[in-house]
Amino acid sequence: MSTYALPGSPDHSAQQAKPPVVVQASKGLLRLDLRPVWEYRELLYFLVWRDVKVRYKQTAIGAAWAICQPLLTMMIFAVIFGRFAKIPSDNVPYPIFAFAGLLPWTYFSQSIARSGMSVVSDANLIRKIYFPRLIIPASAVVAPLVDFALSLLILIVMMAWYRVTPNWAVATLPLFICLAVCAALGVSLWLSALNVRYRDVGHAIPFLVQFWMYASPIVYPVSLIPNQWRSLYSVNPMVAVVEGCRWGLLGKESPEFGAVVIGTLVALILFLSGLIFFKRMERSFADIV
Amino acid sequence: MSELAIRVHHLGKEYRIGQAQHNTLRDQITAGMESLLGRASQRKRRKDKIWALNDVCFEIKKGEMVGIIGHNGAGKSTLLKILSRITEPSLGRAEIYGRVGSLLEVGTGFHFELTGRENVYLYGAILGMTKAEINRKFKRIVEFSELEQFLDTAVKHYSSGMYVRLAFAVAAHLDPEILLIDEVLSVGDLAFQRKCMEQAQSLRESEATVIVVSHNMFSIKAMCDRVLYLSHGRVLADGTPEEVIPRYEEDILGGKGELDTPRWAQSKLGSDPSQRPVNVTDMQVLDESGKARTVFEFGERARLRIKYEMRQDISDTNFVVALIRSDGVACCNYSSELDGFKINGSLGQGEFEVLLPPLKLVADLYAVHVVVWDGKFQQLFGAQICGSFHVRHELFSTHFGVYHETAEWFVREREHV
Repeated sequence: MSTYALPGSPDHSAQQAKPPVVVQASKGLLRLDLRPVWEYRELLYFLVWRDVKVRYKQTAIGAAWAICQPLLTMMIFAVIFGRFAKIPSDNVPYPIFAFAGLLPWTYFSQSIARSGMSVVSDANLIRKIYFPRLIIPASAVVAPLVDFALSLLILIVMMAWYRVTPNWAVATLPLFICLAVCAALGVSLWLSALNVRYRDVGHAIPFLVQFWMYASPIVYPVSLIPNQWRSLYSVNPMVAVVEGCRWGLLGKESPEFGAVVIGTLVALILFLSGLIFFKRMERSFADIV
Repeated sequence: MSELAIRVHHLGKEYRIGQAQHNTLRDQITAGMESLLGRASQRKRRKDKIWALNDVCFEIKKGEMVGIIGHNGAGKSTLLKILSRITEPSLGRAEIYGRVGSLLEVGTGFHFELTGRENVYLYGAILGMTKAEINRKFKRIVEFSELEQFLDTAVKHYSSGMYVRLAFAVAAHLDPEILLIDEVLSVGDLAFQRKCMEQAQSLRESEATVIVVSHNMFSIKAMCDRVLYLSHGRVLADGTPEEVIPRYEEDILGGKGELDTPRWAQSKLGSDPSQRPVNVTDMQVLDESGKARTVFEFGERARLRIKYEMRQDISDTNFVVALIRSDGVACCNYSSELDGFKINGSLGQGEFEVLLPPLKLVADLYAVHVVVWDGKFQQLFGAQICGSFHVRHELFSTHFGVYHETAEWFVREREHV
């Protein structure tokens, strides 16, 4: 080993002092070893950037799709559920009520739909190149945040139109977005790892997304759920997320504290168990994907 | 220089094969039900696991150039996959001291919709470079690829050559301390193989450790100071190329009487030559005067003595001798039918000789396949890999193409103005 850096390759000297990389059969469920993920954090950035760049390539209206999808869904909901079915909307105009719910929901459903397939669709990479596999579903969960930000702008325009002003609770909005990311990542880790072995997951995801939407207060307010069912209902972390977003953005009454606590706990459990499951499965990804 | 680069300690990798892979939930449930009903025993009894690597131990010091050779399925690629951390071993451990770069395949990770410039960053990051590092090397990468004017074109409009060039340029600037090359995987793209080898040579000067998997004994001999010979997942020999390579070649050529069937013919003929209409029982490679030889100088003539057995009468036999280079390129065929020579196709044994024209093939190892057709090349009666020989020449290598012949050159006087 040379004690001086080679000309033109300053990286060598930095690497010399490092302990060796040990490759062996990993044991134990709880040895997560997330250090490589941190070392490869720039790859996360590049994969997110790739997803965002590529998503609307060769489309006529480009990124407008990110806005059109929730906007059109909102219109359909407003006509069917707001006008015809006369579903209550807690004293807010129905369109804006629906849109404020669709915003986090679209993010969540996009995340799990994309990341559920992510590991399998990057199978070539996994078979040929080493990097922490966790980066793949993580990037699929981060990328839809860009769409989320775009539709948030539309919501702000709509709020000005309907003269809805948020109060101090808008400061809690980032917390609820974090909760949505945490829940989405948890579900994604489970689904993407399961999908490597059982391709059934790919078929189940559209159904799961649809079911989950009706189990969340998107088209209807939480007040429609009978009181005795509320705690069970709150097990779905998206209940806390959607209610929290409506509170923060529309200045509606605050969500029940208990519901937020249950939702957060469930999201954390999903995330941690997903992490353990993914780390356990990732050992065999290259062999069976 | 005596510091360690890689230490491999009792490494083993087990793969399941043949077993019904439970790829869908239904399979899993069915299998579960069967085991509940006690029918799993049949399934389990099947031999469905193989050790692709078995108790492999070795150490590689910094700056060594090591070649890994072995038959297909000997575990060479599995070993590289473990060293590059793509897959985990089932047993044992490997310690790796330094940054690993692998040229197992170049260009996976490129996105077709992105431009060349964007792909340099994406691919660089996938290979483990930081953004700052790519920024610093960007100019050199682009110069190396010679694709300046196409940088802002989407990669989907690139030719495959341009694609490989750009990908290789990125990979080559990873500046690894340990480089893993799998030449077997890149068969078919000679330009790429050559670039890999040049890259390996230049790294050698910077004290990097290089591990090459190859079927090409000439490049191994030229590059490596040490060779590991893997067979059935174990290290069979470890030493200098002069010690190890002859042993490997003996193994592929040896085993007289056991003449293998080329893979393409197995589905048509089955794998047992003695059950076919024509079975080649022996082939000797001789020089012009009839002495046994394995190495020929470029331009010498080889004489092949072939013994065969007819298990049925065939009226129009057509014996074809094919020369197949070590990388699988079929270089030439000599056909008894086309040369107007009749070989007796009646029941029983026979023997004939072919005197090949002066060998114009470039220096490499050539396998001799004997294939028996009918006169119209329609019906196949037999096909066997019968032996091999080397052609030697100090200049003409595979870089020169398949063969070399002299052309005639003429000077034309310039017209006077």
